[in-house]
Amino acid sequence: MKFNLQKIARSRKLEYSIFVFILLFLFNIVFPMHDDLPTFIIHEIIVFVAFFILFEYLKDFFTSKMIQPIPLVLNIGILAAAIFLVASVAKYSLTTNSINIETRDFISALFSVLAIFILIGIVTFIFSSLRELFFLRQKKDPSVYMNTMLIFFLFTFFSNLAVKIDSDLDFIKQSFYVVSIILISLNSLRVSWIAFLPKKQKVYLILISVVLIVVFSFNFGVISGKEGFETLVSSFSPGLLTLINLIMLYGVIFSTVVFFTTLFHLPTAEAFDRKSEEVSSLIDLTKLITQVFDFKELAESVTLLTSKICNSDASWLVIKQGDEFELKSVNKIGYLEADELTKFILGQNYDMEEGVTIVSNNALIPFIKNTNSQFNFDSITYSCLMHHEDISGYLFAARTLEIKYDDDDKKAISAFANYAAVALENAKLIEESIEKERMEKELDVAREIQQKILPHQVPEIDDYQISALFIPAFEVGGDYYDFFKLDEDSYAVVVADVSGKGISAAFIMAEVKGIFGSLSKIFSNPKELLVRVNDVLKDTLDRKTFVTSIYYVLNIKTGKLSLARSGHTPALLCSNGVIQKIQPPGIGLGLDYGISFENSIKEMEISLNYGDILILYSDGIPESKNSKLEDFGYERLEKIVASSCQLSANEISNKIMTELTIFSVDNSQHDDITLVILKRINNNN
Amino acid sequence: MADFNVNLRGVGSVSVIDVKGYLDAHTAPELENMFSKLIVDKQFKVVVNFDQLNYISSAGLGVFMAFVEQMRDNQGDIKFSNMNDSVYNIFDLLGFPVLYEFYKDEKEAVNKFSILG
Repeated sequence: MKFNLQKIARSRKLEYSIFVFILLFLFNIVFPMHDDLPTFIIHEIIVFVAFFILFEYLKDFFTSKMIQPIPLVLNIGILAAAIFLVASVAKYSLTTNSINIETRDFISALFSVLAIFILIGIVTFIFSSLRELFFLRQKKDPSVYMNTMLIFFLFTFFSNLAVKIDSDLDFIKQSFYVVSIILISLNSLRVSWIAFLPKKQKVYLILISVVLIVVFSFNFGVISGKEGFETLVSSFSPGLLTLINLIMLYGVIFSTVVFFTTLFHLPTAEAFDRKSEEVSSLIDLTKLITQVFDFKELAESVTLLTSKICNSDASWLVIKQGDEFELKSVNKIGYLEADELTKFILGQNYDMEEGVTIVSNNALIPFIKNTNSQFNFDSITYSCLMHHEDISGYLFAARTLEIKYDDDDKKAISAFANYAAVALENAKLIEESIEKERMEKELDVAREIQQKILPHQVPEIDDYQISALFIPAFEVGGDYYDFFKLDEDSYAVVVADVSGKGISAAFIMAEVKGIFGSLSKIFSNPKELLVRVNDVLKDTLDRKTFVTSIYYVLNIKTGKLSLARSGHTPALLCSNGVIQKIQPPGIGLGLDYGISFENSIKEMEISLNYGDILILYSDGIPESKNSKLEDFGYERLEKIVASSCQLSANEISNKIMTELTIFSVDNSQHDDITLVILKRINNNN
Repeated sequence: MADFNVNLRGVGSVSVIDVKGYLDAHTAPELENMFSKLIVDKQFKVVVNFDQLNYISSAGLGVFMAFVEQMRDNQGDIKFSNMNDSVYNIFDLLGFPVLYEFYKDEKEAVNKFSILG
């Protein structure tokens, strides 16, 4: 919006300036000779307004563009040369056709007016360009100086009127002229932008400024001279002549100042270039921090920038991984060589003053002797990357030339290393969090798979209610339960618990499911089955992992079941409100793979009457803790069961879980919870 | 969370490990390191004194299972002593008493080693 308004304002100014120029043109047609005072004054005013409006237009024109000093100076030079051309042509045509000036016929009048218009255009453009250079790289607003100068230009311009009225009043013009020159000289000194140019451009600028001095001096000479061109402009408007004169003088003074300033800046140009390289490298790095999250990419950029920042021929970066330092990226040096050098240098245990040090050529001689590498570095500097008081890596830079690293280089690499350490740490954290997110997704998948491994629904058996529930402590768990239909009359039920939690337990749980699933179809005797399961697990369980299980085979017709236990929490049998712990002997699967296991397992026969309930569960229930770290305990569980014998299997399950949740409300779940309830009912009554 | 502590003492040729606090998946590595060190030092006769142990999880139990075979292969053993009832119940439920020797008193366990050799 604002931009559009500016655009409109600018085109308005262009319209005005075209209008004024047309007016000026018409005025010259109507009054080719404006020697009488009123027309003279009006004409002078129109000329100045034309100049001023065009200047205002160009000012906006420049503001809308990104100004680079060198092209601007070059433009000034070309335009100054153009003035030279116009002046020469005018001089030529005037000297050959001198009669025409006297007669002022229409064609030549037209011609000279057009020439002057071009002249006004060029001069205004030069002046605007000079103004732009004046404002370039200024920290404070210097417009007051520029405006003062403009006002004095105005005074000098119109002081020609005084001369016109009485030539004795020439001193007015002279004094304004002198003041203008002083102001020009002062304003010409504002050339701080030169300091910021790269060395190459400075050299270039010196050449241009020499040309500028010559061209402007020549133009100034032509304007001030008493020959043809001067007469032409002077007869058109003496004020304009003065103005052009001043601007040409401005050009001369300015070019001279530029020439000398650049010359004096040349010796320090290189140092300045380096400083600005450092600054821009740091800026690049800060950009990288926010844009590059890939650790490897960042490491490579950091290495590349290190070479730039301390004028080095090679650089490399090592990062601490565990207890070792690992080479992460290299620039203009072989991987192997960088690695060997790093080991050699770090092996020397240099005193790191403020985290940075220089390794001289002498110190490197033993390394060169020991390795056959094409080693050609003269000195090396390196700096620590710090993270929370710890060294997280090193940044190395090496030079081949015999220019030793100095304190400035040390400071540069050290400052850079500080930034790099932060950036790299940042990238590492982001990478880790991405990794974490990925792991979480994987875990979600694992959880879904585990849910599929467990039975989707409980079997529907006449005269029996079955309820089953599994809640892992983490995404996945090591508990397992299953039902197998062995034949028309018998079902097998198993609950198992792998020691440990999480992923490792979940893997074994999946294996245990496979073993129970396949062996239950072959061995119908619970004890025999557990012995066989133990045999199979021998090859896969590591020594510190074990699996507890409880397994029974139920005859659905008779209600008789035979049960074996291997280290698992005892089953609970509730019969007429009386609780009985079913805990036949048996050691956990994986505790022993010999005869001890088989000998330890004892089977138990139970008879389920109508209304009897058999509850299998994992230790996650009795070992659930409250905020005081007290166990939920077996007794509490037994009490709940005893008081809810009349309820259905699902209702009992809900009740146990409700009580458990209330008990452990302030404490997170530590272990997987499995609960499988079987109730025999009499549907005939 | 709750902390755990292991301490090693030598009683004659027998190494006595005092365990204290809560032995679970987080603290088990500490005990594992202790056993690894004993094996490096060729100390295969070990008594674990449970006097000050409040809780043991399945990961804690696994530590003994991991090392007992190596001890026994080298004419040593891991014996347990001074266990409170709640901790003993956990061992008992799993059937450890079938495979390991439990003693009321540390001295009794240590003596058992010296009698045998």
